[in-house]
Amino acid sequence: MNKKSIMLVVSLMLLFTVSCNDPETIVTNFVHPDGSITRKIEMRSIEGDTQKRFNKSDIQVPLDSSWKVKDSCEVDEKGDTIYVRRAEKLFKNIEEINQAYSADSGSNKSISRKVAFKKSFKWFNTEFRFSERVDKRLSFGYPVKNFLNNEELRYFYSPEVLQNNNTDGPDSVKYRTLRDSIKFKTDKWTAKNMVSEWIGEFSRLTSSKASSDMSLKALKSREDEFAGLILKEDKGLDSLWKNGIILREFIGEQNALKYKTEADSALSIVTNKIFANFENYSVRIVMPGKLIGTNGFIDSTKKMIWPVTSDYFISEPYEMWAESKTPNSWAWIVSGIFLLFVLSGVVIRVIKKD
Amino acid sequence: MNQENEKYNKVINILKNSKPRLESTEDIQNEVIKRITSIHPFVSAFTGFLDFLFSWVYIGWVRRSLIAASVALVAIFVYQQGVILKRIDFLSRQTIVIGKENISDQTDQVEKILMNYKNEVRKLPLRTVTISEKQMNELIESVNELQLKYKDLEKLIEDDPEIKKLIEKKLNEINRTKI
Repeated sequence: MNKKSIMLVVSLMLLFTVSCNDPETIVTNFVHPDGSITRKIEMRSIEGDTQKRFNKSDIQVPLDSSWKVKDSCEVDEKGDTIYVRRAEKLFKNIEEINQAYSADSGSNKSISRKVAFKKSFKWFNTEFRFSERVDKRLSFGYPVKNFLNNEELRYFYSPEVLQNNNTDGPDSVKYRTLRDSIKFKTDKWTAKNMVSEWIGEFSRLTSSKASSDMSLKALKSREDEFAGLILKEDKGLDSLWKNGIILREFIGEQNALKYKTEADSALSIVTNKIFANFENYSVRIVMPGKLIGTNGFIDSTKKMIWPVTSDYFISEPYEMWAESKTPNSWAWIVSGIFLLFVLSGVVIRVIKKD
Repeated sequence: MNQENEKYNKVINILKNSKPRLESTEDIQNEVIKRITSIHPFVSAFTGFLDFLFSWVYIGWVRRSLIAASVALVAIFVYQQGVILKRIDFLSRQTIVIGKENISDQTDQVEKILMNYKNEVRKLPLRTVTISEKQMNELIESVNELQLKYKDLEKLIEDDPEIKKLIEKKLNEINRTKI
């Protein structure tokens, strides 16, 4: 697939995304010390049609009749009418959320998501760790950190509102350059992921029949060449692929004719994986006690926020985690008394010795 | 000198041999014992308790073990707090997103506005106060009442699809007029 084709597919996907009446959704997890979690979902939609608005199949996270739902109609800063649906449910433990994820029939049902909770007693403090993980879609992809530097990675994973603030703010030139650089590099990353995944799938499909010149190692050695071809080639990918030009170039004329079906199947699998249906949303976590670590962003209400977009879990799992601690007052008191006791004993011993 | 010494010894001997006549020695003995025990019972019990409590200081291995445990406890405390402070310091340097990601709740907002208003009134000089505490409370009560009525109305609209449709239509019209 060349760059334009990638762009075209991505644009079509975006168009599809926009045309779906998916609401703007924020999921907030209020984690309690006993491991129960109160989940709140806020969905905002501009869709006027009641039937189309908050359609179950358009919602990004599991939501069913067991939730306490409240609908309202609000007017935003611009004076536009926004329909808001707020839903709330108390989950006794993480297993209940994981069950809801596995039974999800919403717009992101094809993506595997899991939550985890860990409580560790550390005498003076009790530490809590809550994480939500989205599994990767590709089996043979490359991590994005191989393509972006730390600053670019930070920008890449940042919420849209922060990206917009930066590109419209005082350092706009710097951030626009950064954005363009990221775009260029992520195009390269997408192309390489596609080729790598295609090679993996194609090798799997032809493993019993393929000759040594078509082994996984042999195909991998020409991966960069193939990815470069996709990025540089001006002609449309579809015609290049349909005419067998790319395949001939890559595995030779004879093999191209022999394994055309497997090559097409592999491409279909890869396309489905890379451009899987996914509606973006945001996740927020509110932890018990004092926050001590997170890989998320902190918003103006001092709550952690993560954007969940399809790019984040193409080639590696996307984990949103937060850690907090609560002091064990009784342990502090017991420790203090114990130290005082030992110290007094030592003092008495010294006095009596003298 | 010898004569003086002899006299002294004689006096001493006489004194030694002439013991005072005590009528009830047993009573005196009992009284002395009683007084002694009544003066020091607490002190002796407390000392005994302390001796018992800190008897471990005379047992080498117990003393060493307890001191080691105390040092370990202090080390764990210092390490844990150090790690936590380092992590909190790292967190405080993280980017803060200022944007639309706030989940807003209408009820909370009304309460916040009222609270701010109430605080603002309190901050004003006395002569500029135009609303009394009673009036303020009445206002809050009215708002609460209004909220309840609003909820009832909301429920009524939800239950009746026709009214709901009509309101949505009106809202859309208002929206269009604004544009």
